[in-house]
Amino acid sequence: MSNKEQQDNIEHVFRHEYGSLVATLVRRVGIQHVEMIEDAVQWSMTQALTHWALDKKPDNQAAWLYQVAHRHLLSEFRNTVRHQVILNNEYEQQDIEFSPDIEASLSSELSDALLRMLFLACDDHIPIESQLVFTLKSLCGFSVSEIAARLFVSEANVYKRFIRAKSVLIKQKFNMDEINQSLIKQRISAVHRVLYLVFTEGYLSSHPDVLIRNDLCEEASRLTLLLIQNPICNVPESHALLALMYFNIARLDTREDQTGLVLLAQQDRSMWDQQKITQAMEHLMQSGQGDIISRYHIEANIAAEHCMAVSYQDTRWDKIVGSYELLENVAPSALHILNRALAMAEWKNAKQGLEVLQRADIPTWLTRSYHWYAVLADLQYRDKQYKSAKKNAEQAIHLAPTKGIKDLLKRRIANYNTNKSIKNSPRHSL
Amino acid sequence: MSNKKFMCILRSESGACEKPSPSDMETMYAKYQAWQSKFAKNILDMGGALSGAAAVVTNDSVKDGPFIELKEVIGGYMLLVGENLDEVVKVIQQSPMVENPRTSLEIREISTP
Repeated sequence: MSNKEQQDNIEHVFRHEYGSLVATLVRRVGIQHVEMIEDAVQWSMTQALTHWALDKKPDNQAAWLYQVAHRHLLSEFRNTVRHQVILNNEYEQQDIEFSPDIEASLSSELSDALLRMLFLACDDHIPIESQLVFTLKSLCGFSVSEIAARLFVSEANVYKRFIRAKSVLIKQKFNMDEINQSLIKQRISAVHRVLYLVFTEGYLSSHPDVLIRNDLCEEASRLTLLLIQNPICNVPESHALLALMYFNIARLDTREDQTGLVLLAQQDRSMWDQQKITQAMEHLMQSGQGDIISRYHIEANIAAEHCMAVSYQDTRWDKIVGSYELLENVAPSALHILNRALAMAEWKNAKQGLEVLQRADIPTWLTRSYHWYAVLADLQYRDKQYKSAKKNAEQAIHLAPTKGIKDLLKRRIANYNTNKSIKNSPRHSL
Repeated sequence: MSNKKFMCILRSESGACEKPSPSDMETMYAKYQAWQSKFAKNILDMGGALSGAAAVVTNDSVKDGPFIELKEVIGGYMLLVGENLDEVVKVIQQSPMVENPRTSLEIREISTP
């Protein structure tokens, strides 16, 4: 194994172990020490970088990291005034060698603790944007500066959001062992929402330079899989959410090339990850039970329709129109109307797509976004209303938040100018 | 004192060795769509269903022995604290996942050193 490979391998292990190590240590010594715990976990990972590069990698990497982090944390504690608190802590005695039995119970405890911490972080008293930051920082192991870059906010803002979550958790007398079935049921929607946010942020990032963040998508799906592996969190909505993520991850690599974002009609369908699509379909099937349908179900179904279509032309647009109608009922948002208008234009024609928009009650916030103008321009162009199409396209470019999206819109407007016919408008979900 | 720890291992059938064919995929998809179409027909009733708590199904198929089946992988685990195995099984039966024909559960007591 080359040095580079080894390094990559270690980083992979780290990203995946970080949250559970932090959560397990938080469970033992308390949320008030979360930053010290994160430092200790990072310290153990730097140790691993040195030791694992020299010697053989340990068989149980998580146990190794846990042990080193735990020792480091205890020695840090000994050097601080919190000394007394820790000496009274029964876990002080547990700094021991790992036997295989303990390793087995540790590994289940690690993922158990991670889930518990995820549920505690999704507390109504914590603003959703703080829940998101807390999840990214303490459970996914992204640094403050990485999160700032990914969420397109300042580092100070990220830190403020983190502290907000932490202080609520301390005030709530955070106790990980109190997570029980009724609390899980109460909070599982909030957990789904945070994971959905992490995924969405990766799927079309608001970051000006990086359009798609695979790492965020991967983290979101990893945590969702963890939900599914837990008997109590294994509910239909969890399967729907994971299906939604997998269907979209299957297409991630084809959504971007050297020139920028690639729209659905231009994507190379032979490059879609069939294995991921298969996994997605299995979860979609398992999600189809019970009396409740969620937005994740319907969004997964729309993604499935696209993944199952052999070509853009052969997509079952009627089904997609129907799903967007259902989605508007389940989780009303004017954005669904735009998507439905586009699907309607594919199913019937551009005029009928425009009619969907005319009939709808469009809120002001939407008429100030680039989405609205881009869709309008697209449909007007195809309905041969060239003049208004051009005007709206320019407005869309003006309002677009990132260079990638601006470039994409400019390529479309270049087509309008030459009046080249655009067959099968390459636009799907916004 | 209810302080015994139980590890609940969720096993799901592995899809790795038997890759579904395109027609299997269609069948799976059709199955899902049949479920979703119930809601499309019934849009007005849905508000009520949505506001309610998630439906909890109980199923008496949970057994307390190890489930040894071919083509399965350990999917995950969770720790439960309970007085005895019966109590833990009761808790687990409340979970909707036990209805899932593709997964099975194994519950083991963990001896804490």
